Amino acid sequence: MAQLVKKDDDRDEEGVHYLVCYLIAKACWSYSTAEYSPFLGIEKGAVLQEARVFNDPQLDSRRCSQVITKLLYLLNQGETFTKIEATEVFFAVTKLFQSRDIGLRRMVYLMIKELSPSADEVIIVTSSLMKDMNSKTDMYRANAIRVLCRITDGTLLTQIERYLKQAIVDKNPVVASAALVSGIHLLQTNPEIVKRWSNEVQEAVQSRAALVQFHALALLHQIRQNDRLAVSKLVTSLTRGTVRSPLAQCLLIRYTSQVIRESGVNNQSGDRPFYDYLEGCLRHKAEMVIFEAARAITELSGVTSRELTPAITVLQLFLSSSKPVLRFAAVRTLNKVAMTHPMAVTNCNIDMESLISDQNRSIATLAITTLLKTGNESSVDRLMKQITNFMSDIADEFKIVVVEAIRSLCLKFPLKYRSLMNFLSNILREEGGFEYKKAIVDSIVILISDIPDAKESGLLHLCEFIEDCEFTYLSTQILHFLGIEGPKTSDPSKYIRYIYNRVILENATVRASAVSTLAKFGAMVDSLKPRIFILLRRCLFDSDDEVRDRATLYLSTLGGDGSVVETDKDVKEFLFGSLDVPLVNLETSLKNYVSVHAEIQEPSEEPFDINSVPKEVKSQPLAEKKAPGKKPTGLSAPPTGPTSTVDAYEKLLSNIPEFSSFGKLFKSSVPVELTEAETEYAVNAVKHIFDSHVVFQYNCTNTIPEILLENVSVVVDASEAADFSELASKPLRSLPYDSPGQTFVAFEKPEGVPAVGKFSNMLRFISKEVDPSTGEAEEDGVEDEYQLEDLEVVSADYVLKVGVSNFKNAWESMGPDCERVDEYGLGPRESLAEAVSAVINLLGLQPCEGTEAVPSNSRSHTCLLSGVFIGNVKVLVRLSFGIDGPKEVAMKLAVRSEDESVSDAIHEIVACG
Amino acid sequence: MLLAVLIANSEGNILVERFNGVPAEERLHWRSFLVKLGAENLKGVKNEELLVACHKSVYIVYTVLGDVSVYVVGKDEYDELALAEAIFVITSAVKDVCGKPPTERLFLDKYGKICLCLDEIVWKGLLENTDRDRIKRLVRLKPPTEF
Repeated sequence: MAQLVKKDDDRDEEGVHYLVCYLIAKACWSYSTAEYSPFLGIEKGAVLQEARVFNDPQLDSRRCSQVITKLLYLLNQGETFTKIEATEVFFAVTKLFQSRDIGLRRMVYLMIKELSPSADEVIIVTSSLMKDMNSKTDMYRANAIRVLCRITDGTLLTQIERYLKQAIVDKNPVVASAALVSGIHLLQTNPEIVKRWSNEVQEAVQSRAALVQFHALALLHQIRQNDRLAVSKLVTSLTRGTVRSPLAQCLLIRYTSQVIRESGVNNQSGDRPFYDYLEGCLRHKAEMVIFEAARAITELSGVTSRELTPAITVLQLFLSSSKPVLRFAAVRTLNKVAMTHPMAVTNCNIDMESLISDQNRSIATLAITTLLKTGNESSVDRLMKQITNFMSDIADEFKIVVVEAIRSLCLKFPLKYRSLMNFLSNILREEGGFEYKKAIVDSIVILISDIPDAKESGLLHLCEFIEDCEFTYLSTQILHFLGIEGPKTSDPSKYIRYIYNRVILENATVRASAVSTLAKFGAMVDSLKPRIFILLRRCLFDSDDEVRDRATLYLSTLGGDGSVVETDKDVKEFLFGSLDVPLVNLETSLKNYVSVHAEIQEPSEEPFDINSVPKEVKSQPLAEKKAPGKKPTGLSAPPTGPTSTVDAYEKLLSNIPEFSSFGKLFKSSVPVELTEAETEYAVNAVKHIFDSHVVFQYNCTNTIPEILLENVSVVVDASEAADFSELASKPLRSLPYDSPGQTFVAFEKPEGVPAVGKFSNMLRFISKEVDPSTGEAEEDGVEDEYQLEDLEVVSADYVLKVGVSNFKNAWESMGPDCERVDEYGLGPRESLAEAVSAVINLLGLQPCEGTEAVPSNSRSHTCLLSGVFIGNVKVLVRLSFGIDGPKEVAMKLAVRSEDESVSDAIHEIVACG
Repeated sequence: MLLAVLIANSEGNILVERFNGVPAEERLHWRSFLVKLGAENLKGVKNEELLVACHKSVYIVYTVLGDVSVYVVGKDEYDELALAEAIFVITSAVKDVCGKPPTERLFLDKYGKICLCLDEIVWKGLLENTDRDRIKRLVRLKPPTEF
C-alpha cells in the first residue's frame, strides 16, 4: 500500500493492478511463490466477461484499466477476437468516454486503435473523438487525431480535414506530429485529400521542433515524390537551411542522393551537384548522419576515388567504434564498396581483420567476405588460416556467404586453387545442413570446371564426400558430374571404387545414379569396359526395379549382354546427350498418353513415341531473364551457368528450320532491354552470333490482361549496318497476357568477319481485345506498331570470355609468331581504372588473375585478358597503361593469337573504338 | 518501415508483439526467427548492448534488458542505425516505467503502461516520439515540458 500512497499525484494504475492481481492470485494460488505472472491462467472468455464492467453505471476506472491491460495482453500474444467479440468489446469500450479519468482515457484511445472497428461501427465513436479533437486539452486533440485517422474512411476524412490541416501547424509539437504521421498513413489510402495539405506541411518543415520537422519532411517528400522539380527545389532549399533533427537530416541525405541520381553525372564544371553538402555531413555531430552521408557518397554512380576517400575514412573510423551497430553499418557499406572499388577499401583491411573475432557474427562474416574481395594473392593463405578458426562458431547461413566469397576468390586467383580447394574439402567433412553442403559442392564443381588443374583433386574430394553423404540429392548430382568428368581424367579407374560403393551401401535413388555413372565410364574408357560389365551384371539382382532396369538397359546398350551393339557414337549420344525435348512437353505428352488409355480402359497397343512430343519451347524460362548478374549455381545448373544457357539457345535455334543450316552457335549475348520497365509490352533481345549469320531473338511479354497480340514480328531497319542483309524472319503467332514468347530475325554477314552495325526495331502486331469475363479474344483486331530501342552489334559480340588459369604459361606457349604490338593514346580520362574498364568492355575478353582491379593512385597498370575469337581462335592480350598529370592515358596493346589476322582484328577493334 | 517490435522473456515466450505491414502468415515465421536469433546470440550479453543482423534487405537490432529481450525489425529508411535509435527509445521507456531493467514479473506488472509507451514511440511502423521525458508525460496525457 505504501507504494500507492507515495504516488498520489501520478496514480500508478499498474501499482493498483499489481495489488489487486496479487490478492486474487494469492487467494487462488496460495501455494505459488512470489514469481507469479499477473496474467497467469488468463483466458479470453473470462476476460471478455470481465469487460462487462465497462457497462457499469458507476465506472471503476482502475478496474476498467486492468481489464483493458488484459485485453491488450491477449491481443499482443497473437490472440484474435471473433467479429462478434470485437464488436461487443468495442461498444463497451466506447462507454468509457464518459469517465473523466485521464489514465483510463489514454487506455481507451489505445484500445480502440487495437480493435480497429469496422466502418459501420466507427460511427459510434466519431462524435466523441470529434469532440476530443476540438478539446482545449492538447493531448486529447493529439490522441483523437491518431485514433480518428486509424479508423477513418474517405467520407469521414473530408469532414475532419479542416481540423487536421490546423493540427499540422499546431503550436504543440505532439499535436502537429500526430497530424503529420496520420498524413503519412492516409496518403496510402486517400492521396488526393492529403495532397491538398501541401502548404501546411511545407510550413511544418520549417518548425523549430525537431520531430515535427522530421515528420513533415517525410510527408512532403511523399506528396511530391513524382514531381522531380519539386523534390529538387525542396532539397536545394533545405540543404542550405538548418535541419534540426538528425533523423530529418538522414532523410534529406537520401532525397539528395535521389536528386543527384536523377540529375545525371557531373555538370559542366566537372563538380557533382550537392557533393559538397554530402561531404559536409561527414562532419556532422550525429553518427547517424555521418554514416548516411558516407553511404550516399559510396553509392554515387561513377564515384571517383577522390570523392570516395573522405567517406571511406569515416567508415574506417566506425570500424573500431565501441558500438556494434556502427561497426556493422560500416563493414556492410565497405563490403558493398569492395564489389566495385576493391582497392579503395584495402586501407581498411587491418581494421577489418580485427573484426573477424567480433562477438557479433554478422559483423565478423561481413568482415571476412570483404577481406576476401579486397585481399591480394599474397594474403590469401593468411586469410584462409583466420577463416578456418572462425568457421566453427558461426551458423550455416553465414558459412554459405563465406563459401560463396571463397569461390569468387578462387576464380580470381586460380593459382591459389590448392589452398582454397583444401579449405573447401575440409569444411565439406564437417557438420552442416543441406544448403551449406550444397554451396560447398557447387563451389567445388565450378572450380573444377573453370580451373583444369583443380579437376583431379576436386573430383577426389567429391568422391570422399559421397562416401559419407547423408543427402540423396547431393550424392546423385555428384555421381552425375563424376560420370561426365571422371572418364576424361588420367586414371579413371580410381573413381570406380567410390561409385560401386554407392551401389552396395546407398538407397535406391543413389544406387540408380551410380549405375548410370558406371555405364558412362564403360562407354568412355574401353580398358575398363569388361570390368564395368561385371559390376553392372551384379546390379541385375538389385531389389529395386529402377536400378535393375538401368543395369539391363546399359548392359544391352554397351554390349555387355553379348548382343550386337549400336555404334560407339550412338551409345555416347544416348548416355551423354541430353533429352532433345523440353521436359514440360514430355510430361504433358505422357500424361495425355496415360489418360487417353485410362479413359477407354484398355492397355495401349502402340508404345509411346518420343518423336510425338512437341519440341517447341512454349515460353522462355524465367531464369533467362535473370541471367545477367546471376552467379553460376554449380550442380543444379550443370557445370557452368553460361554454357547451359548457350545450350538452351542452341537447342532452341536448331529446332527452327530456317536457322538450322547456320552451323554451330558461337556466342549468345545477355538479353538487351529494348523497352523501359513497366511499359505495355516488354521486349528484350538476345544476339546469337554464327560464323556467317547473326540471329536476333526478341523475347516479348504482353503486360496488358485485356489485350491479345497476334502475328507479332519485329521489323528491323539495317540501314546503319551495311555488312548485314536480312535473310529470314520468324513471327510469333500469338502473345497472350503474361506468357512470354519469341520472334526471330536472321541476317547474313561476311564469314568470320566481326562486322558491326546499328539496327532500329519496330514491334508490329495485330491487337485484339479480350473479354475479361470469358477470357476470349474478339475476332477482329487492329494492326499496330510499337517503337523499340535500337540494337547494336559490337566487336565484343564476336569474342567469348574464356579465362586461362596461368596467363604467363599460356602467353609463352602461344609464342610470338602471330604477336602484334602497338601503342595508343586514349586521351584524357577520368581515372586509370576507368580507362582500363573501358578497354576491357570494348574488347569483351576475360580479365585474368584479378588484373582488372587497378590500385588507387597508381600511375601505371598492366591488365591481362584472354578469350576466344570467332572461328574458335584463342586470343591473349597484355595491356599496359600509363597516366600522366593532366590524366592523359597511353596504352600499349600486345596481342598473341593462333592467327595473325585475329591479332590484327583485335587491334582494329581498339583503333575503331 | 519499422516492421516489428517484439519483446520476449528469457525462455523465448512472447510478451509483446507488434507487427506493421507484415502479412499475417509471415508473422509466425518472424517470431520464431527472432526468438532463435536471440537464443543463439544473447547469452552473456550485457544489458542494452546492441546486436545486429540483416536478413536479405531487412535489418534486425536486438538486445537484452533485465529478464526480457527486445527486437526491432525494419527495412528501407529504418536501417540498423535508425533501429538502434528506436530500440534505445524503447529500452529507455521500459526502464523509466519499471524503474530499472525489469524482471519478467515487473515487466508484466507494468504491462499496460509499457503498451502505452510503445504506442507513443511507434505508430504503425513509423517512429513518432523519441524523447524519454516527453514519452513519460504523454502516456499520462500531459503535454511535453518544452512546449
